[in-house]
Amino acid sequence: MHDARDAEDIRLLAAADHATLLATYYPVVLERCRLRLPDPDAWEVAQRVALRLLGELRRGKEYPVPFRVVVQMVTTWTIKEFFARPRTDPWPEELDLPAPDPYEGFETDHDLRLLFGDLPERARQVLELRYLEGYDHEEIARRLGIERNAVDQALHRGHRRLREAIGG
Amino acid sequence: MADVARLFDEYAAAWARGERPDAREYLARAGEGEAELRELLDRFLTASLPAEPTEDEVAAMQAWASGQPPLLELRVRRGLTRASVVEALVGRLGLGEAATAKVAAYYHRLETGLLDPRGVSERVFAVLADALGARVDELAVWRPPPAAPALYLRASGPDLSVVAPASAAPEEPRDEVDELFTGPVAT
Repeated sequence: MHDARDAEDIRLLAAADHATLLATYYPVVLERCRLRLPDPDAWEVAQRVALRLLGELRRGKEYPVPFRVVVQMVTTWTIKEFFARPRTDPWPEELDLPAPDPYEGFETDHDLRLLFGDLPERARQVLELRYLEGYDHEEIARRLGIERNAVDQALHRGHRRLREAIGG
Repeated sequence: MADVARLFDEYAAAWARGERPDAREYLARAGEGEAELRELLDRFLTASLPAEPTEDEVAAMQAWASGQPPLLELRVRRGLTRASVVEALVGRLGLGEAATAKVAAYYHRLETGLLDPRGVSERVFAVLADALGARVDELAVWRPPPAAPALYLRASGPDLSVVAPASAAPEEPRDEVDELFTGPVAT
């Protein structure tokens, strides 16, 4: 569902514009690192992610999933590596499997719209306006022509869905 | 909504607006819900769309990828001389003109990746942020990629520990400038 983002990433990959690609994702990589590590370590791990991605991009590696998914998965692995022994293989074998099915879960995991995809349409609209556009609750109610309480209920459902997704 | 839900909601909306909130501030407010909030935020960040990078961010990444120190690149792009930045540091930190040469030596090392930024005072970074109009602490930590022509620190990776904190004049007693750029001496 992140079609425009994926299209832009494909364009940047084709143009070998690695700096723009990495600059696009570096803030979210660093923020994810900061969720789990103090700053000096977070900076170092975020840089390891950038290094790994830059190396693969320079080698012309082709990915079976959208680049945004690659970034997030490499970030997850690199954070895990930081707490465990260093890995020599930067790319898990399962990512080289040719069949598309293994990646369906990745798409759901890496796209908020898909994560909320089976909620009622009005709830999805509320969640998209809040978590993709950043509108405040009153503005969402006004835009959709619903009560503020309905906005809160939709956000509650979205929060519950996220909790289910993390196994909570 | 419960506290965790409210904190998540505030953070996610701010992120969606491109405000780059600091997740750790939200975690600190979560109390017993910190672990749950961390997982929720990580899930959100993993699935959210990134904002378009600024020109500064792209230029910094371009500099890093080509083996140039991003902090040096930023100063040059701002049209500032090193002397003007040093002058701002000396003045804003209240160090006096006699400290100029020492500050200049430290700033040169910081700018070219030869000084461990972990020892640099927040006061120094605050002055630099004003002078250069950017989060300098985040730029100063970048190490060159291994395959790039390393014009500054020659390191095999981003391990910050390879940059040993050092005084500009180790044989002399440490002074305020040393402490500002390398941290207080551990007792």
